[in-house]
Amino acid sequence: MVPLSACGASPAAQTGTTTLRFMQNKPEVVDYFNQVIKDFEALNPDIRVVQDFNEGNFVPGLVRNDPPDVVTRGFAQATADFVKKGIFADLSDMPVAKTIDPKMQELVNSWGQYNGTETSALPFSLAAAGVIYNRDIFEAQGVSVPTTWDGFVAACEKFKAAGIAPIYGTYKDPWTLAQGMFDYASGGALDVGEFFTKLYAKGARITSDAPESFANSFGPALPRMLQLASFSQNGAASKNYADGNAAFAKGQAAMYLQGPWALSQLVAANKNIRLGSFPLPVTNNPEDTKARVNVDMALSITRNTPNMAAAQRFVNYLLEPSVVNTYNEKNAAFSPLKDAPAVSNPQISGLNAAVQEARYFQGAVTYFPPSVPVNNYIQSFVYSKNGEQFLAALDDEWRRVAERTAV
Amino acid sequence: MTTTSRVAQTAPPAEPNSPASAAGTVRSRSRIDPTYYWMVVPVLALFAFFITLPALVGVFFSLTNYAGYGDWKFIGLMNYVNIFKDPAVLQSYIFTFVFALTTTVVVNIVALAIALGLNAKIKWRTGIRTVFFIPMVLSALIVSFVFNYLFSNTLPVLAERFGVTPLATSILANENLAWLAIVLVTVWQAAPGATIIYLAGLQSVPSEVYEAADLDGAGSFRQFLSLTLPLIMGYLVINVILGFKGFLGTYEIIVGLTGGGPGMATQSVAMRIFSGFTGGDYSYQMANAVIYFLITLLISVIQLRLIQRRGVSL
Repeated sequence: MVPLSACGASPAAQTGTTTLRFMQNKPEVVDYFNQVIKDFEALNPDIRVVQDFNEGNFVPGLVRNDPPDVVTRGFAQATADFVKKGIFADLSDMPVAKTIDPKMQELVNSWGQYNGTETSALPFSLAAAGVIYNRDIFEAQGVSVPTTWDGFVAACEKFKAAGIAPIYGTYKDPWTLAQGMFDYASGGALDVGEFFTKLYAKGARITSDAPESFANSFGPALPRMLQLASFSQNGAASKNYADGNAAFAKGQAAMYLQGPWALSQLVAANKNIRLGSFPLPVTNNPEDTKARVNVDMALSITRNTPNMAAAQRFVNYLLEPSVVNTYNEKNAAFSPLKDAPAVSNPQISGLNAAVQEARYFQGAVTYFPPSVPVNNYIQSFVYSKNGEQFLAALDDEWRRVAERTAV
Repeated sequence: MTTTSRVAQTAPPAEPNSPASAAGTVRSRSRIDPTYYWMVVPVLALFAFFITLPALVGVFFSLTNYAGYGDWKFIGLMNYVNIFKDPAVLQSYIFTFVFALTTTVVVNIVALAIALGLNAKIKWRTGIRTVFFIPMVLSALIVSFVFNYLFSNTLPVLAERFGVTPLATSILANENLAWLAIVLVTVWQAAPGATIIYLAGLQSVPSEVYEAADLDGAGSFRQFLSLTLPLIMGYLVINVILGFKGFLGTYEIIVGLTGGGPGMATQSVAMRIFSGFTGGDYSYQMANAVIYFLITLLISVIQLRLIQRRGVSL
């Protein structure tokens, strides 16, 4: 609000400068983008950029037919719905689109393209999640980073024998089970993206005995989940995410099934902790090991913006290596550019190979429509250990939601 | 009271029993003072605009497939039909009613016991009364976060130390027991309000009836059953009705304690309805809300009939 009114009052606004509204989805990086905008404005004196970090304004802006010109959003189901409604402009002709790693672009496109061919968003930041581990505990026990499921199980047994909890579980927050053991185990055991493409194509006609059903596809992932659960500390059911961060930072477990968002919290709790990450191996073939990724920020221009030329110049600037690579380096994330340098941050460098070789998947839970309380079903399964009931419930719930949203 | 006394102070020469003329307006006795309309009409307008109108809009959208944004079209009663086929919704209804019934019974037993104790001539009665009323002042959400901590951290540690293994993991993590924790916290929060009503009732019972009962040789339990309980029956009915209705809409204590979990074990109807706003399920949960409204309306009508039969008025 304040920058907006300030800009209206400034003399520059009367001498024909274009004002762009830039909405970004991560309030914690406002300062970085303020600096980026300052540099951009110095190079482009005819454009002013106003940053809005309140993502909640996006839908009301659409309703008022006054959306921001340039938007970043986390790319998953909700943003894909906007793409399907044609909210965003086609960026495929922009030269900068060619600098993006096509495999990362595919992560965005896999959610569906407007008119079948348009590029509605360019990835800006990719978050890769795996197993966060405590390097000190690994070294003290003489354990090296496992590359196969058997190696992983052996490492867990070794920690257990030494009286160390192999994995810190925070079952009280269902989302941690969902993004952790459920996404990791299912992402390693099957092609999640293909599964959901087929499932969405099937619509409301899905039954439990169809080959596309959860019951017939997710079975192999469940024993892995239960084994991961058995390696958690006692009383994991009473711990939430905040408890987990505090305890893991104190060295109360060797591994933690969390993504890069937890790293800054862990370091805040214990600045001497030495952390690393590796993708969870779910099979015994190291080549199959995949990391869970999500497009944390994707850049879009709204289709009806009156300032298309200025918006494209801003997007071009944001995707210059010095801007996009610096951002991702600072925020423990991966740059989408083809020729981005390898990540040197030791906390996430263990995921480098998987990301560079595109051995990654988007988490299964991100494909669910928000009206399916999938996290709660996962929590139920971890407690009851009844896999058949769990998958049947997912199939039923999916069919009911598809039925009522299809009409 | 205040009007007449103010008139007496400011305008002594006026006729003492017609304050209206003292205020400078002259009108006939049969006309109703417009002040009353000024009190009622704005509230009525606000109520209609902020409660009735949105409710009607909700009913309207329950007949569509509106997701909260974007395009929509009429789909008739499909949402209602689908709700009756949805076991998750049915489960939330069962949970809510079992919870409301249990909580109402427990709250009233506890509150009546506390009221009897606080009504007796005990030492430091005022101080103890104050202590018992504190839970009513605290926000339910804060109370439930505090209890959440106690259940998840303090209680398991104590249980482990004293070897009570069933309690060594948080009962909030147990699908079969979590609802009891919610009942406990709700009772802790709701009992003081009911206690106040019971105290008022107990103080309205004249002491002579007890003296007479003493002379007839009735013991204290007999006195309670045959004298106290019938004499405060009206208060009991009010407590049961207000309590039951309130507990049917339970929301924030569950959010603070379990968030509807573990699994789906403690999802109340209100939580399911609210999930429609974030879940793109707006019209479907609106239909759920309409059904729930009709059910609570029915219960209220039945309760009102019961009250009228007992000659109590709210």
